[in-house]
Amino acid sequence: MNNANFNSNSHLLKKTFWQISVFVILASIFALTVNHFRSDSIPIIGEWSVDARFSDSSGESLVISLEEAKRLFENKTALFLDARRKEQYDEGHIQGALSLPQQEVDAYFMDIAPKLEESQLDNNDRGDGSSKSKVIITYCDGDTCELSHELALFLKEMGFNNVKVLVNGWSVWQEAGLPNEIGE
Amino acid sequence: MYASYDKILHPEAFAKAVFNYQILPDTAVNIAALVLPWLELLIGLSLVAGIWLEGSTVISTSLMMIFIGSLIFNQIRGLDIHCGCFSTDATQGPAGIWTIMRDFSFLAASIYLTFRIFFFSKSPNI
Repeated sequence: MNNANFNSNSHLLKKTFWQISVFVILASIFALTVNHFRSDSIPIIGEWSVDARFSDSSGESLVISLEEAKRLFENKTALFLDARRKEQYDEGHIQGALSLPQQEVDAYFMDIAPKLEESQLDNNDRGDGSSKSKVIITYCDGDTCELSHELALFLKEMGFNNVKVLVNGWSVWQEAGLPNEIGE
Repeated sequence: MYASYDKILHPEAFAKAVFNYQILPDTAVNIAALVLPWLELLIGLSLVAGIWLEGSTVISTSLMMIFIGSLIFNQIRGLDIHCGCFSTDATQGPAGIWTIMRDFSFLAASIYLTFRIFFFSKSPNI
Protein backbone atom coordinates (compact mmCIF):
# COMPACT_ATOMS: atom_id res chain seq x y z
CA MET A 1 0.00 0.00 0.00
CA ASN A 2 2.78 2.41 0.97
CA ASN A 3 4.65 1.42 -2.11
CA ALA A 4 1.63 2.14 -4.27
CA ASN A 5 1.25 5.53 -2.61
CA PHE A 6 4.89 6.33 -3.21
CA ASN A 7 4.58 5.32 -6.85
CA SER A 8 1.51 7.45 -7.43
CA ASN A 9 3.13 10.41 -5.65
CA SER A 10 6.25 10.17 -7.73
CA HIS A 11 4.12 9.82 -10.85
CA LEU A 12 2.19 12.95 -9.85
CA LEU A 13 5.41 14.87 -9.23
CA LYS A 14 6.86 13.82 -12.56
CA LYS A 15 3.67 14.77 -14.33
CA THR A 16 3.64 18.18 -12.63
CA PHE A 17 7.25 18.93 -13.48
CA TRP A 18 6.69 17.83 -17.03
CA GLN A 19 3.67 20.09 -17.40
CA ILE A 20 5.50 23.06 -15.85
CA SER A 21 8.37 22.56 -18.30
CA VAL A 22 6.01 22.47 -21.26
CA PHE A 23 4.20 25.62 -20.07
CA VAL A 24 7.49 27.50 -19.67
CA ILE A 25 8.91 26.30 -22.98
CA LEU A 26 5.69 27.09 -24.86
CA ALA A 27 5.47 30.55 -23.28
CA SER A 28 9.11 31.21 -24.24
CA ILE A 29 8.56 30.08 -27.83
CA PHE A 30 5.43 32.23 -28.20
CA ALA A 31 7.14 35.21 -26.56
CA LEU A 32 10.30 35.07 -28.64
CA THR A 33 8.50 34.37 -31.91
CA VAL A 34 5.97 37.16 -31.48
CA ASN A 35 8.69 39.55 -30.31
CA HIS A 36 10.80 38.69 -33.33
CA PHE A 37 8.10 39.51 -35.86
CA ARG A 38 6.39 42.51 -34.28
CA SER A 39 7.34 46.05 -35.27
CA ASP A 40 7.82 47.31 -31.72
CA SER A 41 9.95 44.41 -30.51
CA ILE A 42 12.31 44.82 -27.57
CA PRO A 43 15.85 43.38 -27.29
CA ILE A 44 16.11 40.09 -25.38
CA ILE A 45 18.75 41.59 -23.13
CA GLY A 46 17.81 45.19 -22.47
CA GLU A 47 20.03 48.17 -21.81
CA TRP A 48 18.96 49.54 -18.42
CA SER A 49 21.86 51.83 -17.56
CA VAL A 50 20.93 55.31 -16.36
CA ASP A 51 22.15 56.91 -19.61
CA ALA A 52 20.16 54.50 -21.75
CA ARG A 53 16.99 54.88 -19.70
CA PHE A 54 17.04 58.67 -19.66
CA SER A 55 17.74 59.33 -23.32
CA ASP A 56 15.92 61.30 -26.00
CA SER A 57 14.36 59.95 -29.17
CA SER A 58 17.74 59.82 -30.94
CA GLY A 59 19.18 57.75 -28.10
CA GLU A 60 21.33 60.53 -26.69
CA SER A 61 21.58 60.67 -22.91
CA LEU A 62 19.74 63.53 -21.17
CA VAL A 63 21.38 62.88 -17.82
CA ILE A 64 23.18 65.70 -16.04
CA SER A 65 25.45 64.96 -13.07
CA LEU A 66 24.81 66.51 -9.67
CA GLU A 67 28.17 68.35 -9.87
CA GLU A 68 27.29 69.91 -13.21
CA ALA A 69 23.79 70.81 -12.01
CA LYS A 70 25.27 72.38 -8.90
CA ARG A 71 27.76 74.39 -10.99
CA LEU A 72 24.97 75.69 -13.25
CA PHE A 73 22.84 76.47 -10.18
CA GLU A 74 25.67 78.53 -8.67
CA ASN A 75 26.28 80.34 -11.97
CA LYS A 76 22.55 81.00 -12.25
CA THR A 77 22.54 79.30 -15.64
CA ALA A 78 20.04 76.59 -14.75
CA LEU A 79 16.27 76.62 -14.57
CA PHE A 80 15.03 73.71 -12.46
CA LEU A 81 11.62 72.20 -13.17
CA ASP A 82 9.97 70.01 -10.54
CA ALA A 83 8.05 67.23 -12.33
CA ARG A 84 6.37 65.86 -9.21
CA ARG A 85 2.84 66.66 -8.09
CA LYS A 86 2.19 70.22 -6.93
CA GLU A 87 1.66 69.12 -3.29
CA GLN A 88 5.07 67.50 -3.23
CA TYR A 89 6.62 70.64 -4.72
CA ASP A 90 4.96 72.72 -1.99
CA GLU A 91 6.42 70.45 0.69
CA GLY A 92 9.90 71.24 -0.54
CA HIS A 93 11.87 71.75 -3.75
CA ILE A 94 15.19 72.89 -5.16
CA GLN A 95 15.64 76.61 -4.53
CA GLY A 96 14.21 78.62 -7.42
CA ALA A 97 12.68 75.58 -9.12
CA LEU A 98 9.35 75.99 -10.89
CA SER A 99 6.55 73.46 -10.55
CA LEU A 100 5.47 71.66 -13.72
CA PRO A 101 3.75 68.41 -12.70
CA GLN A 102 4.28 65.94 -15.50
CA GLN A 103 0.99 64.18 -14.84
CA GLU A 104 -0.95 67.41 -15.39
CA VAL A 105 1.43 68.96 -17.86
CA ASP A 106 -1.34 70.14 -20.19
CA ALA A 107 -2.96 72.17 -17.42
CA TYR A 108 0.24 73.79 -16.16
CA PHE A 109 2.34 74.21 -19.29
CA MET A 110 0.77 77.39 -20.64
CA ASP A 111 1.32 79.20 -17.31
CA ILE A 112 4.98 78.36 -17.34
CA ALA A 113 5.77 78.59 -21.05
CA PRO A 114 6.63 82.35 -21.00
CA LYS A 115 9.16 81.78 -18.21
CA LEU A 116 10.70 78.88 -20.09
CA GLU A 117 10.96 80.94 -23.25
CA GLU A 118 12.49 83.84 -21.36
CA SER A 119 15.08 81.51 -19.82
CA GLN A 120 16.27 80.59 -23.28
CA LEU A 121 17.11 84.17 -24.28
CA ASP A 122 20.55 85.70 -24.06
CA ASN A 123 20.09 89.08 -22.47
CA ASN A 124 21.36 91.17 -19.60
CA ASP A 125 18.06 92.29 -18.27
CA ARG A 126 16.60 89.42 -16.34
CA GLY A 127 16.85 91.00 -12.94
CA ASP A 128 18.64 88.09 -11.27
CA GLY A 129 22.13 88.97 -12.48
CA SER A 130 22.23 86.19 -15.07
CA SER A 131 22.93 86.97 -18.67
CA LYS A 132 23.10 83.73 -20.61
CA SER A 133 20.42 81.34 -21.70
CA LYS A 134 19.72 78.70 -19.11
CA VAL A 135 19.83 74.93 -19.13
CA ILE A 136 16.41 73.55 -18.22
CA ILE A 137 16.90 70.76 -15.67
CA THR A 138 13.93 68.53 -14.83
CA TYR A 139 13.85 66.36 -11.73
CA CYS A 140 11.58 64.17 -9.62
CA ASP A 141 12.33 61.72 -6.82
CA GLY A 142 13.54 58.12 -6.89
CA ASP A 143 16.08 56.30 -9.08
CA THR A 144 13.40 54.81 -11.27
CA CYS A 145 11.12 57.86 -11.36
CA GLU A 146 10.21 58.55 -14.98
CA LEU A 147 8.34 61.84 -14.52
CA SER A 148 11.41 64.05 -15.05
CA HIS A 149 12.35 62.07 -18.16
CA GLU A 150 8.86 62.28 -19.64
CA LEU A 151 8.75 65.99 -18.91
CA ALA A 152 12.14 66.50 -20.60
CA LEU A 153 10.93 64.63 -23.69
CA PHE A 154 7.76 66.72 -23.74
CA LEU A 155 9.77 69.97 -23.56
CA LYS A 156 12.03 68.78 -26.38
CA GLU A 157 8.94 68.13 -28.46
CA MET A 158 7.80 71.67 -27.63
CA GLY A 159 11.02 72.99 -29.12
CA PHE A 160 13.20 73.44 -26.04
CA ASN A 161 16.52 71.85 -26.91
CA ASN A 162 18.58 72.70 -23.89
CA VAL A 163 16.93 70.21 -21.51
CA LYS A 164 18.60 67.83 -19.04
CA VAL A 165 17.40 65.38 -16.38
CA LEU A 166 18.82 65.26 -12.86
CA VAL A 167 18.10 61.64 -11.97
CA ASN A 168 16.62 61.14 -8.48
CA GLY A 169 17.05 64.92 -8.27
CA TRP A 170 15.14 65.83 -5.13
CA SER A 171 16.89 63.14 -3.05
CA VAL A 172 20.45 63.76 -4.30
CA TRP A 173 20.03 67.53 -3.98
CA GLN A 174 18.97 67.21 -0.35
CA GLU A 175 21.64 64.62 0.45
CA ALA A 176 24.28 67.01 -0.88
CA GLY A 177 22.92 69.72 1.43
CA LEU A 178 22.23 72.10 -1.44
CA PRO A 179 19.75 74.99 -1.09
CA ASN A 180 16.07 74.15 -1.12
CA GLU A 181 12.90 75.92 -0.13
CA ILE A 182 9.36 75.18 1.00
CA GLY A 183 6.05 76.56 -0.27
CA GLU A 184 4.83 77.96 -3.51
CA MET B 1 -5.73 36.12 -19.23
CA TYR B 2 -7.12 39.61 -18.86
CA ALA B 3 -3.92 40.73 -17.12
CA SER B 4 -1.67 39.22 -19.77
CA TYR B 5 -3.38 40.93 -22.70
CA ASP B 6 -2.13 44.46 -22.05
CA LYS B 7 1.38 43.23 -21.24
CA ILE B 8 1.67 41.23 -24.44
CA LEU B 9 0.52 44.26 -26.44
CA HIS B 10 2.93 46.66 -24.71
CA PRO B 11 6.17 44.80 -23.98
CA GLU B 12 8.20 47.96 -23.53
CA ALA B 13 5.87 49.39 -20.91
CA PHE B 14 5.78 46.09 -19.05
CA ALA B 15 9.58 45.77 -19.18
CA LYS B 16 9.76 49.19 -17.55
CA ALA B 17 7.39 48.01 -14.82
CA VAL B 18 9.53 44.90 -14.24
CA PHE B 19 12.61 47.09 -14.08
CA ASN B 20 10.94 49.43 -11.59
CA TYR B 21 10.42 46.57 -9.15
CA GLN B 22 14.23 46.48 -8.88
CA ILE B 23 14.18 42.76 -8.11
CA LEU B 24 15.72 41.17 -11.21
CA PRO B 25 19.21 41.84 -12.57
CA ASP B 26 19.08 44.25 -15.54
CA THR B 27 19.98 41.54 -18.05
CA ALA B 28 16.97 39.42 -17.03
CA VAL B 29 14.38 42.21 -17.15
CA ASN B 30 13.45 42.03 -20.83
CA ILE B 31 13.28 38.26 -21.10
CA ALA B 32 11.07 38.10 -17.99
CA ALA B 33 8.87 40.86 -19.41
CA LEU B 34 8.49 38.93 -22.66
CA VAL B 35 7.84 35.44 -21.29
CA LEU B 36 5.77 36.16 -18.15
CA PRO B 37 2.64 37.47 -19.93
CA TRP B 38 2.56 34.45 -22.24
CA LEU B 39 2.99 32.14 -19.28
CA GLU B 40 0.08 33.93 -17.59
CA LEU B 41 -2.04 33.52 -20.70
CA LEU B 42 -1.27 29.79 -21.06
CA ILE B 43 -1.98 29.16 -17.39
CA GLY B 44 -5.20 31.14 -17.63
CA LEU B 45 -6.30 29.02 -20.58
CA SER B 46 -5.33 25.85 -18.75
CA LEU B 47 -7.31 26.82 -15.63
CA VAL B 48 -10.38 27.74 -17.63
CA ALA B 49 -10.22 24.65 -19.81
CA GLY B 50 -9.34 22.34 -16.91
CA ILE B 51 -6.37 20.82 -18.73
CA TRP B 52 -2.98 20.13 -17.10
CA LEU B 53 -4.17 21.60 -13.83
CA GLU B 54 -1.27 20.12 -11.82
CA GLY B 55 1.29 22.22 -13.68
CA SER B 56 -0.78 25.37 -14.01
CA THR B 57 -1.87 25.56 -10.35
CA VAL B 58 1.71 25.13 -9.16
CA ILE B 59 2.95 27.84 -11.54
CA SER B 60 0.13 30.26 -10.69
CA THR B 61 0.67 29.79 -6.95
CA SER B 62 4.43 30.30 -7.32
CA LEU B 63 4.01 33.39 -9.50
CA MET B 64 1.47 34.93 -7.11
CA MET B 65 3.86 34.33 -4.21
CA ILE B 66 6.72 35.98 -6.12
CA PHE B 67 4.52 38.96 -7.11
CA ILE B 68 3.26 39.49 -3.58
CA GLY B 69 6.73 39.00 -2.14
CA SER B 70 8.11 41.68 -4.48
CA LEU B 71 5.27 44.07 -3.69
CA ILE B 72 5.71 43.69 0.06
CA PHE B 73 9.48 43.95 -0.30
CA ASN B 74 9.12 47.23 -2.19
CA GLN B 75 6.54 48.54 0.29
CA ILE B 76 8.92 47.85 3.15
CA ARG B 77 11.89 49.51 1.52
CA GLY B 78 9.62 52.41 0.48
CA LEU B 79 10.62 52.31 -3.16
CA ASP B 80 9.14 55.04 -5.34
CA ILE B 81 6.26 55.67 -2.97
CA HIS B 82 6.48 59.39 -3.69
CA CYS B 83 6.67 59.58 -7.43
CA GLY B 84 3.91 57.46 -8.96
CA CYS B 85 6.49 55.38 -10.78
CA PHE B 86 4.46 52.21 -10.90
CA SER B 87 1.89 53.96 -13.01
CA THR B 88 2.12 57.11 -15.04
CA ASP B 89 -1.55 57.68 -14.38
CA ALA B 90 -1.91 60.17 -11.53
CA THR B 91 -5.29 58.80 -10.52
CA GLN B 92 -3.97 55.29 -9.98
CA GLY B 93 -1.10 56.11 -7.66
CA PRO B 94 1.67 53.72 -6.68
CA ALA B 95 1.10 50.05 -5.94
CA GLY B 96 -0.02 50.07 -2.34
CA ILE B 97 -1.69 48.09 0.35
CA TRP B 98 -4.86 47.49 -1.72
CA THR B 99 -2.88 45.95 -4.54
CA ILE B 100 -1.32 43.59 -2.04
CA MET B 101 -4.73 42.74 -0.53
CA ARG B 102 -6.14 42.04 -3.99
CA ASP B 103 -3.20 39.82 -4.83
CA PHE B 104 -3.61 37.95 -1.56
CA SER B 105 -7.16 37.05 -2.57
CA PHE B 106 -5.82 35.73 -5.89
CA LEU B 107 -3.16 33.79 -4.00
CA ALA B 108 -5.75 32.28 -1.66
CA ALA B 109 -7.79 31.10 -4.65
CA SER B 110 -4.67 29.73 -6.27
CA ILE B 111 -3.58 27.80 -3.17
CA TYR B 112 -7.08 26.41 -2.73
CA LEU B 113 -7.03 25.11 -6.32
CA THR B 114 -3.58 23.61 -5.89
CA PHE B 115 -4.68 21.74 -2.77
CA ARG B 116 -7.81 20.50 -4.47
CA ILE B 117 -5.84 19.20 -7.42
CA PHE B 118 -3.13 17.52 -5.38
CA PHE B 119 -4.86 16.25 -2.26
CA PHE B 120 -8.54 15.90 -2.93
CA SER B 121 -8.53 14.77 -6.49
CA LYS B 122 -10.67 11.75 -7.22
CA SER B 123 -9.20 11.40 -10.64
CA PRO B 124 -8.30 7.74 -11.18
CA ASN B 125 -5.30 8.45 -13.35
CA ILE B 126 -3.18 9.88 -10.50
